[in-house]
Amino acid sequence: MSQCVVEIENLVKRYGDKVAVDHFSLNVNEGEILGLLGPNGSGKTTTINCLLSLLKYDKGIVTIFDKEMKPEAYDIKSQIGVVMQNVAVVETLTVYENVDFFCGLYIKDKATRKKYVEDALEFTGLTEYKKYLPKKLSGGLLRRLNIACGIAHKPKLIIFDEPTVAVDPQSRNAILEGIRKMNRDGATIIYTSHYMEEVEELCTRVVIMDHGKNVANGTSQELKSSLINRETIRVGLPDKSDKIIAGIKEINHVYKVKEDGDDLVIKCDGGDHNLVHILSYLNDNNVPFGHVSTELPTLNDVFLEITGKELRD
Amino acid sequence: MFGRIYVYKLKEMLRNKYVVGWNIFFPLVLATVFYFGFGNLISDDPDNFKTINVGYVNTNQEETNFGMLLEEMSKVSDNRTKIVEVHEYSSKEEAAEAMNSEMISGFYVEDGDDISTYVLTNGYKATTLNEIVREYKNMYSVIEKVAQEHPENLQKAIDMVSNQMEIMKEHDFGTNTSPYLQYFFALIAMSSLFSSWISTAMLEGMCANMTETGKRFEVAPTNKLLAIAGCVMAGLTIQSVSNAVLVVYVQYILKINMGAPFINLVLITTLGSALGISAGVLIGSFIKNERLLVAVPLVFTMGCSFCSGLMWHQIRQIIESNCPILNRINPAALLVDCLYTRATYGKTDMYYQDILIMGCMVVGGLFVSSLFLRRRKYASI
Repeated sequence: MSQCVVEIENLVKRYGDKVAVDHFSLNVNEGEILGLLGPNGSGKTTTINCLLSLLKYDKGIVTIFDKEMKPEAYDIKSQIGVVMQNVAVVETLTVYENVDFFCGLYIKDKATRKKYVEDALEFTGLTEYKKYLPKKLSGGLLRRLNIACGIAHKPKLIIFDEPTVAVDPQSRNAILEGIRKMNRDGATIIYTSHYMEEVEELCTRVVIMDHGKNVANGTSQELKSSLINRETIRVGLPDKSDKIIAGIKEINHVYKVKEDGDDLVIKCDGGDHNLVHILSYLNDNNVPFGHVSTELPTLNDVFLEITGKELRD
Repeated sequence: MFGRIYVYKLKEMLRNKYVVGWNIFFPLVLATVFYFGFGNLISDDPDNFKTINVGYVNTNQEETNFGMLLEEMSKVSDNRTKIVEVHEYSSKEEAAEAMNSEMISGFYVEDGDDISTYVLTNGYKATTLNEIVREYKNMYSVIEKVAQEHPENLQKAIDMVSNQMEIMKEHDFGTNTSPYLQYFFALIAMSSLFSSWISTAMLEGMCANMTETGKRFEVAPTNKLLAIAGCVMAGLTIQSVSNAVLVVYVQYILKINMGAPFINLVLITTLGSALGISAGVLIGSFIKNERLLVAVPLVFTMGCSFCSGLMWHQIRQIIESNCPILNRINPAALLVDCLYTRATYGKTDMYYQDILIMGCMVVGGLFVSSLFLRRRKYASI
């Protein structure tokens, strides 16, 4: 069984009367990429700040690498890397100097640091820009510099706080690929985002937060499996007689059929070949139909079902 | 760790156009403006200690020891410039009229045991005249005793007091006495307090609730006070060098004699820079609002500089007359006073007192800041 790297128990953080984090518990195991998903204001960043001891919390215990996390817990801090939501670099230092400066807060040995800095620049594809000042970099390159500054000291636990906000798709893919590589190299990763597609693609486990609470926890597949609706099939159907609708309802796993303009929306609660069965029924009964599409549930559907609202409200 | 932060912060500041502009070039520009404004009014001949014309009114009309002392001091001896040229008047009103018409720089009225000094303006002449009476009173009992017990040695005793005055003139006085010099000292004081901006900006860059780079510092396994010390030393270096450049520019390029050896001036201005840095750290340690962190040092610097005589040199004297404590707690006024005292009167008690107060302010400011900063374990984002 893999070791538990981060353990949060019953974390409570209040801002006056407002409860930002409400009895939140979480375990992160070694080697995981944990996605912390939630809409804006759900308490993700507050949780991360408490985890890093940037914020004093009202209740709960935060343990990292089996030790309680405190502001002066330098031995724990030395093993953590943080990639901030906003770019955190020094404008008047070059790319190389920025990475060296922040890496130097962790690594004292000059030769080791030099190697680590060069590795980080290579990893983020910034080697050719190492003499540039940050203001000369594009938005995507700046994000990569932000990542290089956070991970250059080769931490065992890396926290990414919405690293792809306002990043173009090409840079986003490069960032996600980089995170996978860091994970393959042995780092445990906590990734917060409100982009469910990213989390679904990247994370081995997902925790969904809402109103400061842990409302769902599992792999993407597990979370989606918990939904009643497992597949939504949309068929363009000019003739929507009661007989046809009743016939479709008889098909295995179809639990709900409703009209939506020219389309018929059919919801299935399981099964492997629902589309084939529906099209066979339409063919067998000589029912003409137009376009056909099928949608599998997303994490947004999970969130919608749990909280009654969209992730990006 | 300390060394790396120090070096990187130096680099950071030297590439920051605001630091280079405001902390280094702006004082030079202002010094040039001052130079063209009243540089020619500053008397800068260090060798020219001018004899002071002083009035003397003896209400009793009898020969007194003080009168003999003044007479002795008005004699030329060993090719040295005489300290005073005494003009006797029969009444206080007559002497005052002579002073108002600038024939004399001041006058004494001796009435029995009481000696009153009247001077027209501040400056080395006023100080010298006051110093003569002070020194005489210190030696009075000795002279009295000699006059009573060994009248044959009275002349020797008076010579001793007179020589004391010479020593004071030759060794203790600074080499510039112009009140306009205060503007340049106030400029140095303002430049020194500009360093409070540097230290508040640095603290801001290290606090997670202020900046994103601050978060990096807070999550790193770095002792916060050590990191801040690195920043503070870098800020102090920049400001001290900037002040030294300003002194070189004023003294050697604009050729305005600042009345003290270069090293002495640099040490005083470095203390001034430390004062600004310390004030900035103190401000930054208890203010958590980003806008206030810009506004407070600005108001602090300009307010202190104004009260130290940056725009009107007599403001400091007015404050000294009405609320002297303000001049003792205003860092800019202390620095101006220290430089002015050094330039005009030399290393007097006042000079050492200013240095002591400034030193205590630096140490006290940093100590209180460190208490604030140690308590701030969490960022309160």
